[in-house]
Amino acid sequence: MTSSPIRCLLAMLGTDVHSKGIRTLARLLRDHGVEVVYLGEHNTPEGLVSAVKAEDPDVVGLSFSTATYLHYTKLLMDQLQASGLAEVPVMLGGLVHREDEPALHAMGVKGVFGPGSTPAQVLEFLSKVTGKLLDLPAGG
Amino acid sequence: MSAPAGADAEIVRRIQHGDIRAAARLITRVEQGDAVAPMLRALTPAGRERRVVGITGAPGVGKSTLVDQLVARWRGRGERVGVLAVDPSSPLSGGAILGDRVRMARHNADPGVFIRSMAARGRLGGLAAATGDALIVLEALPLDRILVETVGIGQSEVDILLHAHTVVVVHSPLAGDAVQAMKSGVIEIADIHVVNRMDVPGADRMATQLREIAAGNVLARAWRVPVLKTQAVAGAGIDEFDAAVLAHLAYRGSTAEQAGARRRTPFAR
Repeated sequence: MTSSPIRCLLAMLGTDVHSKGIRTLARLLRDHGVEVVYLGEHNTPEGLVSAVKAEDPDVVGLSFSTATYLHYTKLLMDQLQASGLAEVPVMLGGLVHREDEPALHAMGVKGVFGPGSTPAQVLEFLSKVTGKLLDLPAGG
Repeated sequence: MSAPAGADAEIVRRIQHGDIRAAARLITRVEQGDAVAPMLRALTPAGRERRVVGITGAPGVGKSTLVDQLVARWRGRGERVGVLAVDPSSPLSGGAILGDRVRMARHNADPGVFIRSMAARGRLGGLAAATGDALIVLEALPLDRILVETVGIGQSEVDILLHAHTVVVVHSPLAGDAVQAMKSGVIEIADIHVVNRMDVPGADRMATQLREIAAGNVLARAWRVPVLKTQAVAGAGIDEFDAAVLAHLAYRGSTAEQAGARRRTPFAR
């Protein structure tokens, strides 16, 4: 692997406290050579935008286990746009209803990974939006 | 060597005027190994006032929480702060979980705080290979103070000495006895010792052992190395810690011994 590692910022927005999903995803990405900027829980859209500006990630990942994702994602996407960060791809995963996916895509979210999504799908998406290859862990 | 022109000169100008995004993009290019030497040269300060504080210590001793507390104090005085937080890269995959800034989350939305996470990418001295150049970018921003947090280190990783004016070594209360405290390594490079988690039994004994070492320092300098106790999560001892950091930065700026070079070099065989 000669190209620079993918930098992926992972965060949860709002008061959602079920962080098992985001922690599992963080380790999965790390195991495939990704540098995860881990922002954890309780982020506001403003705080997240500021972090995106300073950390300059290749991709942003949001994790939701509550039904607030439409509200917070809209706030975030609007603020990313207003801050000149619209070109940073955003992916979203967790307990997302399939019928909400078109609305999320309309907001500018590039990848939605609801229940039933596989790690391989997330990794393939990361590779595609960043144009970078992903490592496999030692031993396969 | 030519000065940067055109778009690169504009980037330099923007960073010097506080453009966070321009600084962040340049740090990314530095990490990627892009040819940015002319820009870095143009950004390198000549005799700047601001100083760099290094925070180091074993994994989990409370470095990030202490950084968070210091940032809060400095912001309370209206100072603008930059933080460079380094975490280790995986020896198996090359990836990393950069989880320092999560402990500084209250500062995320504060426009007066710039926090950047870096992976060590295989470098062994406690910092990333790109940390020095990333610091050049940070120092060019209109910031009043800069903090650099190393990875969780062991006994021998002293790269922070190359980049910080003030080196703070953070200790756990449980990490050994008087002989351990006497051993060579990172303990020797401290300008300030902090025993965190002072609520845990052993903290007083650790502080006493460190004071004995610090007082007996045969390379006697005008600066007497203080040993402080904190409980970072609770915010205890932070005022004294803050005062000690400021005092050492002033000392570094004031004496002939220290005024010149920012960098101190480790012993070379």
